[in-house]
Amino acid sequence: MSAVLECPRPPCERVGSKTMDAALEAKQALFVEQALPHLDQLYGHAMRKTGNPADANDLVQETYMKAFAAFESFEQGTNLKAWLHRILENSFINNYRKAVREPFQGSVEELEDWQLGNAESRTAMSSRSAEAEAIDHLPSSAVKDALQNIPEEFRVAVFLADVEGFSYQEIADIMDTPTGTVMSRLHRGRRLLRDQLTEYAAEQGIGLAPKTGENRG
Amino acid sequence: MADCGCDKAKQALEEYLHNELCSEEAADIREHLEGCVDCTDEERVNVVLREAVQRACDETAPEDLRNQVMARLREGQYH
Repeated sequence: MSAVLECPRPPCERVGSKTMDAALEAKQALFVEQALPHLDQLYGHAMRKTGNPADANDLVQETYMKAFAAFESFEQGTNLKAWLHRILENSFINNYRKAVREPFQGSVEELEDWQLGNAESRTAMSSRSAEAEAIDHLPSSAVKDALQNIPEEFRVAVFLADVEGFSYQEIADIMDTPTGTVMSRLHRGRRLLRDQLTEYAAEQGIGLAPKTGENRG
Repeated sequence: MADCGCDKAKQALEEYLHNELCSEEAADIREHLEGCVDCTDEERVNVVLREAVQRACDETAPEDLRNQVMARLREGQYH
């Protein structure tokens, strides 16, 4: 491997390292075949992390380069998708975290629900079926905005669970955190999303949503 | 079989919808949902929320990105 990396130019049609070239080509072909199909999903993950296409682009490229460099250590037949998402998480922590600091110090896990604006009893809708109806009719832009407004750890957990369909254990591995924390992030993340979306729908008059201001819990 | 009750059903709802419960527990929740309008409405909100998030996050990477990844692999720029 080091012989390949030391090559200053693309290792192409010359010199006596034909076997090395063949091995590298085979590795590249296998990597492209197995890892490239996850591009859209990794981009979606990167968008949730960075919040903008340019940084998401960089983060995905870096993820693929790191993954390729470590591809020998990937055990064929195990969970490549989770492995790639985990590398993306690590790449973000190493390179972007310092730049995109969250406004508060410490972990969101330490925040109480009331500090997150969570109020289990409050709902802007007259009934749960009205609430479901309203959320179902919201434009995706509103949902994207709401996602962007919740703490990153919650947003990523919800994305990995609800969009990518990872199990709690897989999310725990990807985010390097206990499954109990994953469950808490999912629960609080969804609650915050729901509150925001319901409120937004009521303001916009989407769904039935009679805005009486006297809803009981 | 005794109904597991609303408190337990609501508490386990997210795990239920994510297929994280063992089959026995899931059967308990399913049975309760069949007979409880309130919890079924709650389930519906959860399902609709998940679908809304899925729609919002349904993204396609720019075609350029695929090309850039391929080019960097070919050129050996792994770092």
